[in-house]
Amino acid sequence: MKKIILLLAICSNILLAFNPNDLKKLKEDGDCPKCDLSYADLRGIDLTMSDLRDANLSHANLSHTLAHKANFSNADLSNATFINANIKGASFVYATLLNVNFTGARIWKGDFSHAKIDTCNFNESALGSAIFDGNNLTNSTFNGTILYKTIFRKNVIGIPK
Amino acid sequence: MRSLLLLIICTLSLFANELQYEHNLDKAIEKANKEHKEVMMMYSAVWCPECNYMKDIVFKDEKVLKYIQKHYVVLALDIQKDTLPKGFDYIGIPTFFFLDKDAKEKSKIIGGSKAELFLQKLKALK
Repeated sequence: MKKIILLLAICSNILLAFNPNDLKKLKEDGDCPKCDLSYADLRGIDLTMSDLRDANLSHANLSHTLAHKANFSNADLSNATFINANIKGASFVYATLLNVNFTGARIWKGDFSHAKIDTCNFNESALGSAIFDGNNLTNSTFNGTILYKTIFRKNVIGIPK
Repeated sequence: MRSLLLLIICTLSLFANELQYEHNLDKAIEKANKEHKEVMMMYSAVWCPECNYMKDIVFKDEKVLKYIQKHYVVLALDIQKDTLPKGFDYIGIPTFFFLDKDAKEKSKIIGGSKAELFLQKLKALK
């Protein structure tokens, strides 16, 4: 029984883990498009202007991360965490943002155009001058969010008040 | 004469409802020392939405405005026109530096925040 549990634990770990080479590449180059960084702990890594297009960042922890103008276009960020992250000017164009926690994040001038947004937490974050276009924000929360000059294009559903 | 007085009163009341910015370090220090205040040096830019939010919204909040007016002389420096005085460093704008009587950095607040939170941060510095 113990062996089965151990085997299951090892297998689940392998299945859930990111690609170590990809994480190494990100730390060394600062860029890692199309990489598998799922479940990676990226706290404290400087991701300023990083190219993370098409990356798998599902369940990744990016809390307190500095990621000015990082490019998350088309990335899978399902269940990722950006608590108190500084992601000014970051691009989330066409990204998958399912159940992402942006609590307290500074996302001034972030671009969320055509991102698939569902049940995200934007509470206490700063979305000033950010752009939303082609999103459904109905199931996401915006309590205490700074929405100063935030741009909501005509085809956005559930615009927060 | 009455119209002139009215104009002066109106002008003064307008100034009382918004922050007055100094743009020269020496003058700001001199004024602060004279008024027994400290200097809050704001490093910002006109193109920075976070900086504009602080100026347009947070600094017009009654509680924040009164607190700043009571405790600080505000020195506004623009990233495109002014270089930071020697010994000051920043990683992003807006950054708010708090100076002692000798124009040395005592503390700083990086980034903007909502009025209540910014006021909390200011009070924590005292």
